[in-house]
Amino acid sequence: MGLSLEQLTGWLAGVDEFWIQLAATIVKFIVVLLISLHVPPLMVWAERRIPALMQRRKGPNRVGIFRFRLFGLMQPLADTIKLIFKEEVVPDTAHKFFFHLAPVFVIFPALLVITAVPFGHPVTLGGYIFPMSVTRVDVGFLFVLAISSIAVYGISLAGWASNNKYSLLGGLRASAQMISYEIPLGMSLIPIVLIYGTLDLNEIVMQQQNVWGVFLAPISFVLFVVCMFAETNRAPFDMAEGESEIVAGYLTEYGTFKFSAFFLGEYVGMFTLSCLAATFFFGGWQIPFVSYETLVQISGSSLVASLIGMMVLLVKAAFFMWLYIWVRWTLPRFRYDQLMSLGWKFLLPLALANVVITAAVLVALQASRL
Amino acid sequence: MAEVIVFYSIASLLVFCSIMVVTRKNPIASAIYLVGALFLVAAVFAFLGADFVAAIQVLVYAGAIMVLFLFVIMLLNIDPELLKSPPMTAGEAAVLILTILSFIVISVTVFKGQLVAPVGELTTQEIAKNGGNTAVIGLALFMKYVWPFELASFLILLAIVASVVIAKKDKKKLTGDQADAERNMVGDLR
Repeated sequence: MGLSLEQLTGWLAGVDEFWIQLAATIVKFIVVLLISLHVPPLMVWAERRIPALMQRRKGPNRVGIFRFRLFGLMQPLADTIKLIFKEEVVPDTAHKFFFHLAPVFVIFPALLVITAVPFGHPVTLGGYIFPMSVTRVDVGFLFVLAISSIAVYGISLAGWASNNKYSLLGGLRASAQMISYEIPLGMSLIPIVLIYGTLDLNEIVMQQQNVWGVFLAPISFVLFVVCMFAETNRAPFDMAEGESEIVAGYLTEYGTFKFSAFFLGEYVGMFTLSCLAATFFFGGWQIPFVSYETLVQISGSSLVASLIGMMVLLVKAAFFMWLYIWVRWTLPRFRYDQLMSLGWKFLLPLALANVVITAAVLVALQASRL
Repeated sequence: MAEVIVFYSIASLLVFCSIMVVTRKNPIASAIYLVGALFLVAAVFAFLGADFVAAIQVLVYAGAIMVLFLFVIMLLNIDPELLKSPPMTAGEAAVLILTILSFIVISVTVFKGQLVAPVGELTTQEIAKNGGNTAVIGLALFMKYVWPFELASFLILLAIVASVVIAKKDKKKLTGDQADAERNMVGDLR
C-alpha cells in the first residue's frame, strides 16, 4: 500500500465517471459475493456448536490446523472437501437438464437480492458518490420482493426433475408454502414503506437513525420474522425436507456438489433475509444516537465510517442468523395443514389489518398536524 | 453505443426465449423459457427507465403466475407420446409463410424509420419532475383512474369466489370413507 488516500482520490478525479462507477460496482460485487459465500460455512459450524452448548455436548471441536483446534472451525472445510469428492449420482429416470438447472435457481436469487442491501452510507471519494450497495435501485423494496419470489422455481424444479415421489412431494410442499408465505411477507413490509414514504432501501435506513422500525411497526416485525422462517424453509417450517415423513424431500436424489449448492443457496438466502430484517426493522447500518457525520469526524474518513456501518449491519444480521439456529433447536416441526392455516387464516388477515391500521394512524397524525 | 449493444443483446435473447417457448416439446421446458422471456421483458422495461413496471413484471408474472403454471403442468404429468404433433397441413404451411412475410414487412418498415410510436405526455424528464415512477403510477391509479381500478379489482375478486364455488364439491353426496378423505384433504380450505 504505497498509495495514500489523497493520491488515490486525486487520480480518480481525472477519469470518466462511468468507468469509475463500473469499477466500483465490480469491486463491491466481489466483496459482497465473498462475504455471502463465507457465511454458509460459518453458519454450518455455528449450527453444530450452538445446539451442542444448548444440550451440554461438545459438538465438533477436533478439526483444526496441525495442533491448533480453533474450536473445530475447520470442520466445514473438511465437510466441503468430502462433499465435492463424493461420486456424483444422477438418477436414470431424472429429467437431466432440469436436474442440473435446479440448484442454479436456488443460489442465483439469493445472491441477487443481497446486491440491493445498503451496507453503509454512500461514500464520497474524489468528488464521486459511491452508494454502498452493489446495485442502487430506486424501487429497491420491490426489487427485493420480486427477485426473492424466483427462489421457488429451484425447489419445485428439483422436486419434479428428480422423478421421485418423495422429491415431488417435497417440491410441491415447498412451493405451496413459499407462495403462501410470500404474501404476508410482502404485506408485513407495507407499513414500513407507508411510515418512511419511500421504496429506496438506503433512504429507509437513513430515517431510522434514532428510532428503529421495530418500535414503529412491531406487528410487522413479528410477521416478517415468522414469514422469514417459512420463506427459507427453516425449522419449524422445514416441511420441504421433513425427513420423518418424506425421506429428504426435494433433496432426496441430490448428492455431492449439487447438494452443497442447495445448502449454499439456503444459507445465503437466510443471510439475505437477515440483512433485510436488520435493514427494515433494526436500523440497518446505523448506530443508534450516533449520526453518520459524527462517525466521519471520529474516524476521519467517510470510507472508514461506511465500513464501520457495514460491520454494524453484519452484527445485526448475525443476531438474526443466531435466531434461526435458536428457533430450530427449540421448536418442533409444524404439521403441514397447521402451516397452511397459520399462513392463510392468521398471518394474512393480521397483515392486512396491520396495513389498514397503520395507514389510518398515519392519516390521522397528518390531519392533526395540519 | 453502449445502450444499443445492451438493448440488442436483451432483445435477441428475448426473441430466442420466445421461440423456444413455442417450439419445445416438453411443457416444463416451455414454461421455464417463458419465465426467461418474462424476465427479459422486465429487463427491457428497466432499460427504458421504468423500474416500477419492471419490478412488478417479475413479481407478478415470473414470481407468481408462472409458478402456478408450472405447478399445474407438474401435477398433470402429461404422457410425452400425446405431445407429438401431427404433420403440417397445407393451410398451416400457408399461415406460416404469411407470418414470416408480414414479419419481414414490419421489420423493414421499423428499420427504415417509417413507423414511429407517438411519445406520450409522461416523458422521462416529466416523470423525474413528478417524484419518480412509483409516485406517477400511484397517483394515476388512485386519483385519475380510481373507479376503473377498483372495478377491475372487484371483478378479479368475483372471479376468485366463482372459481372456488365451481371447484367445491357437494358435501351431501359423499358418504363414509370418501367423505372422511375429502374432509382431510380440503378441511383447511373451509
